[in-house]
Amino acid sequence: MKNIIKSKLALVVLLLFMLMSCQDMFEPAIENHKGEDALYDLPAWATGLLGHAYISNPLGSWSFNDVATDDAVSNDPNNAYRLMATGSWRANNNPMDRWQYLRASWQYLNQFIVVSENVKWAEDPLVSDMFKERMKGDAYGMRALYMYHLLLNHGGWGEDGKLLGIPIVTKPEDLTSEFNLPRNTFQECIDRLYADVDSAIMLLPLDYGAITDDNLVPAKYRSKGVTAGQYTRVFGDNARNRMSARIAKAVRAQAALLAASPAYNQGTTVTWTEAANRMAEVLNGLGSNPIAEIDPKGNQWYTSSSAIESLQAGVNTKEMLWRANKDNSNSLEQANYPPTLFGSGRINPTQNLVDAFPMANGYPISDPNSGYNPANPYANRDPRLDMYIIRNGSTAGSQNTVIKTAADGTDNNALNKTETSTRTGYYMKKLLCQTVNANPSSSTTAYHIKPFIRYTEIFLGYAEAANEAWGPTSGGSHSYSAYDVVKAIRQRAGIGGGDLYLESIKNDKDKMRELIHNERRLELCFEGFRFWDLRRWKKNMTEPAKGMSITNGSYTILPNVEERSYQDYMYYGPIPYGEVIKFSNLVQNKGW
Amino acid sequence: MKQILLNIGLVFCIMIVFGPTNAIAQEGLKKINKSENDTLTKIEVAFRTVNEKDLLGGVSVIDVRDLTKKAYSTYSLDFVENIVGGMNGNIWGMDEYLVVVDGNIRDANNVLPSEIDHITILKGVSAVALYGSRAAKGVLQITTKRGYAGDPRISVRANSGIYLPKAYPKYLGSAEYMTLYNEARINDGLVPSYSNEDIYRHASGDNPYRYPDLNMYSPDYLRKFYNRSEGIAEISGGNNRVNYYTTTGYYREGSLLNIGNSSKNSNSRFFVRGNLDIMVGNSIKVQTDANVTFYDAYTAAGNWWSNAASLRPNRVAPLIPLSFLEENDIPSWNTINASNHIIDGKYFLGGTQVNPTNPIADSYAAGDNKFVSRQFQFNTRFDFNLKSLLQGLFFRAKYGIDYASTYNQGYSNQYATYAPTWTNYAGRDMIASVTQYGTDNKTGNQNINNSAYRYTYNFSGQFDYSKTINSDHNFFGMLVANAWQQQQSGQYHRITNVNMGLQTSYNFQQKYYLDFSSALPYSAKLPEGNRIAFSPTLTAGWRLSNEEFFNDNVFDDLMLTLSGGIINQDLDISTSDNTMGYFLYKSILQRGGWYSWADLGGEAATEFQRGDNMNLGFVKRKEINVGLRGSLLDRLINFDFNYFNGKMDGDIARVNSLYPIYFTQVGYPSSSIIPYVNYNVDNRSGFDFSVYLNKKINDVNLTLGVTGMYSNTKAAKRDESFEFSYQTRVGQPINGLWGLQNLGFFSDQDDIDGSPQQQFGDTKPGDIKYKDQNGDNMIDSKDEVFLGRWDTPFRMGVNFTVKWRNLSLFAMGDGFFGGYGMKNSSYYWVRSDNKYSEIVRNRWTEETKNTATYPRLTTTSGGNNFRYSDFWIYKADRFNLRMVQLTYDMPAKALNGTILKGLSMYLGGYNLLTFSKERKHFEMNVGSAPQTRLFNIGLKGLF
Repeated sequence: MKNIIKSKLALVVLLLFMLMSCQDMFEPAIENHKGEDALYDLPAWATGLLGHAYISNPLGSWSFNDVATDDAVSNDPNNAYRLMATGSWRANNNPMDRWQYLRASWQYLNQFIVVSENVKWAEDPLVSDMFKERMKGDAYGMRALYMYHLLLNHGGWGEDGKLLGIPIVTKPEDLTSEFNLPRNTFQECIDRLYADVDSAIMLLPLDYGAITDDNLVPAKYRSKGVTAGQYTRVFGDNARNRMSARIAKAVRAQAALLAASPAYNQGTTVTWTEAANRMAEVLNGLGSNPIAEIDPKGNQWYTSSSAIESLQAGVNTKEMLWRANKDNSNSLEQANYPPTLFGSGRINPTQNLVDAFPMANGYPISDPNSGYNPANPYANRDPRLDMYIIRNGSTAGSQNTVIKTAADGTDNNALNKTETSTRTGYYMKKLLCQTVNANPSSSTTAYHIKPFIRYTEIFLGYAEAANEAWGPTSGGSHSYSAYDVVKAIRQRAGIGGGDLYLESIKNDKDKMRELIHNERRLELCFEGFRFWDLRRWKKNMTEPAKGMSITNGSYTILPNVEERSYQDYMYYGPIPYGEVIKFSNLVQNKGW
Repeated sequence: MKQILLNIGLVFCIMIVFGPTNAIAQEGLKKINKSENDTLTKIEVAFRTVNEKDLLGGVSVIDVRDLTKKAYSTYSLDFVENIVGGMNGNIWGMDEYLVVVDGNIRDANNVLPSEIDHITILKGVSAVALYGSRAAKGVLQITTKRGYAGDPRISVRANSGIYLPKAYPKYLGSAEYMTLYNEARINDGLVPSYSNEDIYRHASGDNPYRYPDLNMYSPDYLRKFYNRSEGIAEISGGNNRVNYYTTTGYYREGSLLNIGNSSKNSNSRFFVRGNLDIMVGNSIKVQTDANVTFYDAYTAAGNWWSNAASLRPNRVAPLIPLSFLEENDIPSWNTINASNHIIDGKYFLGGTQVNPTNPIADSYAAGDNKFVSRQFQFNTRFDFNLKSLLQGLFFRAKYGIDYASTYNQGYSNQYATYAPTWTNYAGRDMIASVTQYGTDNKTGNQNINNSAYRYTYNFSGQFDYSKTINSDHNFFGMLVANAWQQQQSGQYHRITNVNMGLQTSYNFQQKYYLDFSSALPYSAKLPEGNRIAFSPTLTAGWRLSNEEFFNDNVFDDLMLTLSGGIINQDLDISTSDNTMGYFLYKSILQRGGWYSWADLGGEAATEFQRGDNMNLGFVKRKEINVGLRGSLLDRLINFDFNYFNGKMDGDIARVNSLYPIYFTQVGYPSSSIIPYVNYNVDNRSGFDFSVYLNKKINDVNLTLGVTGMYSNTKAAKRDESFEFSYQTRVGQPINGLWGLQNLGFFSDQDDIDGSPQQQFGDTKPGDIKYKDQNGDNMIDSKDEVFLGRWDTPFRMGVNFTVKWRNLSLFAMGDGFFGGYGMKNSSYYWVRSDNKYSEIVRNRWTEETKNTATYPRLTTTSGGNNFRYSDFWIYKADRFNLRMVQLTYDMPAKALNGTILKGLSMYLGGYNLLTFSKERKHFEMNVGSAPQTRLFNIGLKGLF
């Protein structure tokens, strides 16, 4: 009997041991976690901190916040920008908020700048040193980009009467840091951005790309004995479309334009001249006569899937200063094609935007010389209208289907027919590749590119600043004027007949300003510029979104498809409400 | 290893089913310690059995074996909340509890009432202490039936019943919907969507195929009722050395749907359970249990009930007669003839571009799915009587291993639908052409997906010792080691409980009791150095009725207990993104997200998650409870009362109020460097009771039971940063509904202009007007206040038994009081392109502004009206008649000369009635299958 007991006990003990060996019982099962100190020996992990900030790139995807402006409305009743535009914008309900997201990644950049100093980037010490420079320069450039977007979304006149930016934090923070920091002034933030751009320019090449000749190695590396092969390993083709000196300069130019604009220039020292020069610095990189370098297809970079597909890896067209990877998809079309093309018809351009397109002869439709006929409103218009917007009778999709948006249309494309129909009488055509078939049972995809910065934006930025600084026809120290830029852009668009309208106003700075603003509106429509442009210019934000109802071939303007319920203090975005509550030194923008 | 154990389990199972009478027979062994007993005296508590008389406070017992004689039910927990006090989906207001079946961590739904002997609810700190960390919020302990010595007993039960739906949501028909949708458009300043002629056509019903008026609750698609049938057999018996119990059963239930493949929807369950108790020699008892369950649920593809709540009636005609096609319309016929789905030879599947599929077509053409669940459970237990070492000393060990697997199998097919273009020849609608949407595509292969498994291992070993000196001093001591783990597919980590337990107790003449129950829980979720903790509890009991001064004859028994202690738990060391909760103390750097450039493949990014907190410790349940139990007036009244007051201290949180918001990044990529710390504190107090009245009047036995629980929770410490004092969660119930306070509707533009500005989008007359709480002349989320508790402060149960000769009637009901709910389902929040329910009929319009009960209609998302506010709140007070059963037991003499030893017949009704101001709301399901009443007839025979 005792033996039985013993054997049973033995069995029980055995079972106990079996259990003891189970993971998570006495020791947690091992996970592949690393600590911060592991980064120094793991360059791929260390770069991943910078990668984290790259994922957060505020330019990474289309925001379509144009639906919160007079350019478009969304047919999605739950669209956050739609709700914002119709009166729910609050400091604690802010779809424009970048404070949390970008500053979180900003912390990664600060951390990366410190860490990168001691990471073993490569066995070869020369290569390792070059990597260190590239990585740090990259991070400084990204930080400047973040600063620009933080200023855009959160800069403003504080309750204390000063034009404020964000609290500038350049060292990684930890749990014991002082968090109750005041906001630095807008100007200090601009200075910080400039300094970061300077660091990036110092550390980064203008462009990346392989070299084969040792003599082409930049002097500062060549003097250390760096070969073309070593240089290429760090700064070669594999680094294309990462932050470069060229991109950093463009970011600086964007920031300068912002700071020189009416909404901000009372609180900064940045002048229109400076903004124009910063823009010109980018443009001058195109060649001795930048106007001649304007990409003739720069306003329709998205139209050809095959052209994008055949683009060499990492190489940019003349229009692209900086861009994302090519992407073979049809999600944009699924969202925005008209319903009969199996899209959800999400973005509906407004009559306001349609009216902003001039006639093909260049005259605004309100001009007596334009020849505009309200009873036949789409005839003889600027070719960009039909390129960017689907209106009643346009063709679209892979079969060139005629789209009837008229109120008496019989299919789902008709005005307000169903939940995916247009609310304004228009659908968005721009950015979509018309070869895509979005029918779920036979769908096809196409190559797309998300530009981060297009040269058209820089040209128009130059025109805007140069017109203010030197008048329409002078380029200061540069060989091209605002007039030259506008003329070229409008020529590219197909404005014919010698563009008499432009000629007629070429000596009127105020009319030229309006024209440049309008060209910017048209060229950059649906790309997320309009919302902050209106504010930067201190223009009317509350013009209701209008539409067009067509019945029996007669045209009736819908005067108020959607309110734009903005208050005057909404020229500037708010600081997150919760942060202002927590930190007494954080001043809220006026009115919020 | 697992496979071997499984096989052992199966062998045992087979042995139990087929070999009960071939039990090993040896001589000279003692009778196994269990006898046939109708009333429960021995109660299973944590790792031991005690006499009912010696139960201390914070424990409730339900004699399920006895109850099932008068109350048939289908779910093991049907009774627990009503027959005793203290449970309401949880125990004493905590948010979860542990289910232990025969000492193993198991699912309560995998054991039927007919298999259960009794259920013990361990509520107080001292009752749960020995079970360790994961039992900290209470234990529901189910003890299944076992055999006892005697001739084989066979019991057979057959049930058949029907489920009748209680109520359907009422949605508007096409014409009314279209009319009101037009009104909503006009309210939004837009032109109407539907012409009067259109509306008229839909209303007339002349051609429902062209002008649909789809009602998914129509008898065309639904049965009036559906069936459930069940058979259960139990066999038990034994002799001095071997006892056995085995049971097997099967049920099948249909569904309400009666269209296409959906008409075959059904659930079925088959199970076999068996156990065997063997005395080996003089001092070893071996018990083995096994259980196998096969559960299958067949459903046709498509989600009928959620579609029923969203698909508008005018959108699509699902089935269109072929007769509308003209004979000579060759192109249309060619298109239609290519379809795989001509229904009944008469209809083709209708669709539109916006609705290329619909639930009716899904039922016919989209395939099907079978959910399959298999459970195997095996456990064994050894009791060694170590009297050769010390009289009264036992060593006991048990081991259990359960395996559960689930998967779906079925066909997922695509199908084409056809949109007709109609014309009208001489007053007759005909189809001019058809447009095809989608394509017929049958996948020949059966999909197997969502496969999941779960292993549970249970182990415990214990030494216990009991001794009685001079029949006055009763000592008991126990040292137990307890461990269990649960491993699930898709989870790298395991749910684990490891603890030691120590119990010492003493009583003097069953009059003065003292009990010390404690545990040393161990948790690998916590940082080294904090992984072990001590959870002490102390209980004192005093049987007042045994005192001489208490000699007043009113009380038969009166026992007062006072108990208190601290239970350390790691249940709440868990977060939504790390439910298993391991390494939460540690800052980690991990690969997360992907980025690419230069048209190359890209690289993984790196992210921080959490900050270090090497001080992270157990969450502590601290509690004092008082129990008073007894009976009076010669057992006329039995009562049990418990009061509890405690807190859950140190629930983990990220203290966001200390750090900038950007220490956490949400979205993609995500990141946080804020550590988890023990921070939040919840206070909890309340009482439970159960009172039973037993009275015999002539031939009639009456029993009335009333039970209940009142519980209150308060947030005592929270991480928060609010500007205004009324916003703080501290001091408010943790299950609070928060929202705005409404002031009725805006009557006109002047009213809007003269009121604080509402920041939820365009405000118009007929919108809900809210109260400005902070006087900033703006209405926004800062004006949200506490509106009420969404849980149930007071829960009660009532049960009633009348016995007259061979007839007995049992009724049970429950009541819920003091809670609130928010009417925020799509049935109530009708907006944008929702389906319209009848609730909108009383909407605000200029004409009805004085009587309207619903805001103006809108086609937008209605951000102003459709948000949490007391406009949508309702009192959740209700009383439900849960079940009524009438049972007739055939008199014994009538069965003389038959093989039957007993026969009873019963008739029952379940979920019969709800009494509430909100009855309609409570009886209606939106977006899911309707609630039903079950009427069941059953027969039970004993052989």
